[in-house]
Amino acid sequence: MAALVTAVPLQAQTPAAPAPTERTTGISGYMDFHFNKPEFDDGRLDFHRFVLLITHNFSDRIRFVSELELEHAFVEGQEDAGELELEQAYVDFLLSRRFNLRAGMMLVPIGIINERHEPPVYYGVERPFVDTVIIPSTWFEAGVGVHGEVGRGWRYRAFVMSPLNAREFSAEEGVRNGRQKGSDTNIGRPAFTGRLEFVGVPGLTAGGSFWTGRSGFEFRPRFDVPVAIGEADARYSRDRLELRAQFAHVAISNAGDLNDALGRAVGVDPNVARAMRGWYGEASYRVISGTHAGDIGLFTRYESFDTQFRMPDGYLPLEEFDRDAVVFGGTYWPDPDIAIKVDYSIIRSRSSVVVAPNSFNVGLGWWF
Amino acid sequence: MVVLMTRIFTRFNVFVAATGLVAALGGAAMAARQQPSQIVDISAERFSFTPSEFKVKAGQPVEIRLRSDDTDHGFRILDTNINVIVPKRGKGAVTVTFEPPRPGRYVFECSKLCGAGHSFMRGTLIAE
Repeated sequence: MAALVTAVPLQAQTPAAPAPTERTTGISGYMDFHFNKPEFDDGRLDFHRFVLLITHNFSDRIRFVSELELEHAFVEGQEDAGELELEQAYVDFLLSRRFNLRAGMMLVPIGIINERHEPPVYYGVERPFVDTVIIPSTWFEAGVGVHGEVGRGWRYRAFVMSPLNAREFSAEEGVRNGRQKGSDTNIGRPAFTGRLEFVGVPGLTAGGSFWTGRSGFEFRPRFDVPVAIGEADARYSRDRLELRAQFAHVAISNAGDLNDALGRAVGVDPNVARAMRGWYGEASYRVISGTHAGDIGLFTRYESFDTQFRMPDGYLPLEEFDRDAVVFGGTYWPDPDIAIKVDYSIIRSRSSVVVAPNSFNVGLGWWF
Repeated sequence: MVVLMTRIFTRFNVFVAATGLVAALGGAAMAARQQPSQIVDISAERFSFTPSEFKVKAGQPVEIRLRSDDTDHGFRILDTNINVIVPKRGKGAVTVTFEPPRPGRYVFECSKLCGAGHSFMRGTLIAE
């Protein structure tokens, strides 16, 4: 067997650096530091995310991956004060390219951002609204599953995971607070999720995802609250241009019974919808690329998201939750792993009473 | 004596010239044999190689050119000594020449931790 390696950097020919070999332990991470200035309010400075990834290869076939995230720099016991989250901690049994097993704490394979959320790889200081209130990124749960790739770029994931907890659903943030996050989760009726995506054409990633599970396990007497989520997305980049689009729909069955049960439990009817929907399209262009000083890219994104898209019989949608947003700005990469971001976010809702504030945002994110 | 020495010297020169010619022809033949006639361009991006599956001829060298669209990645062919860093976007490319010794499937993967989906970065070189 013959093997020869040459490296061709832009400036000079130098040998390629040796890469890690098998049976290694690796550490990496990313950070996200934000300044947000909402309209009619004071600015906020927030060390939003500090994330460490630790991996270990037991062998070529068995691999451990973990991701530990500290949000908002400080943990006090309430989510608003900060969170320490174990977003990933799984073991991969890599049997073949076509079929592999995974078990542990895993990311739900849904949408563009949930599995690919390192700050330098997306535009905007904050993640898209659709990836926050419709798809509750970062969404992770305990479970087991299979994944692999077949043919020239058809990739799949299929996992059995802990279901969402309908007791925590809300009108404003949809199913977001229903994530059990792998903490002593109820698995009486597991949820199923999967994704099929195509990565066989250079620059193109197109995929579709689903989630289905029963979420009423905390109610007594117990009743079913089936939740189904469907999603489709695509990314395409060519030279300096990148286009993204995503659509997501959430269906909650028995939402009327859920509202009744929550109303009895907490005294306030939460007005949870039976359907939520969101989509966005984004275009970006690197106006400066390949220079010593780095790259600069500009982007604009339009989003439409409604956490009261369809209501149960007898309920009216709250118009403040039918929202549109236009986000525009730019990113400067002094290094491909460092992103300095600036954007302005304009949000509008159908409500003439409740005004969603616009915001000016600056961010510094990096990966190492 | 002088005639004898001249003949020996002449024969020695012929021998050297012939040896040089054979060596040159052999070297050229080896160079021609080692010159990769198969070239594959691969782009690496979180979290995929494109193409992630390709076919080559066994017993013949293939030149694999790798370029990253974002951070630096690794490129390792399992059970071989090939394991290199693919430089970050804009920092150039790396070229690997590999001669699959026999027909079969050779798995390659990203060998440098590159993010949450690092484990998905795998592919297959099929030698026929």
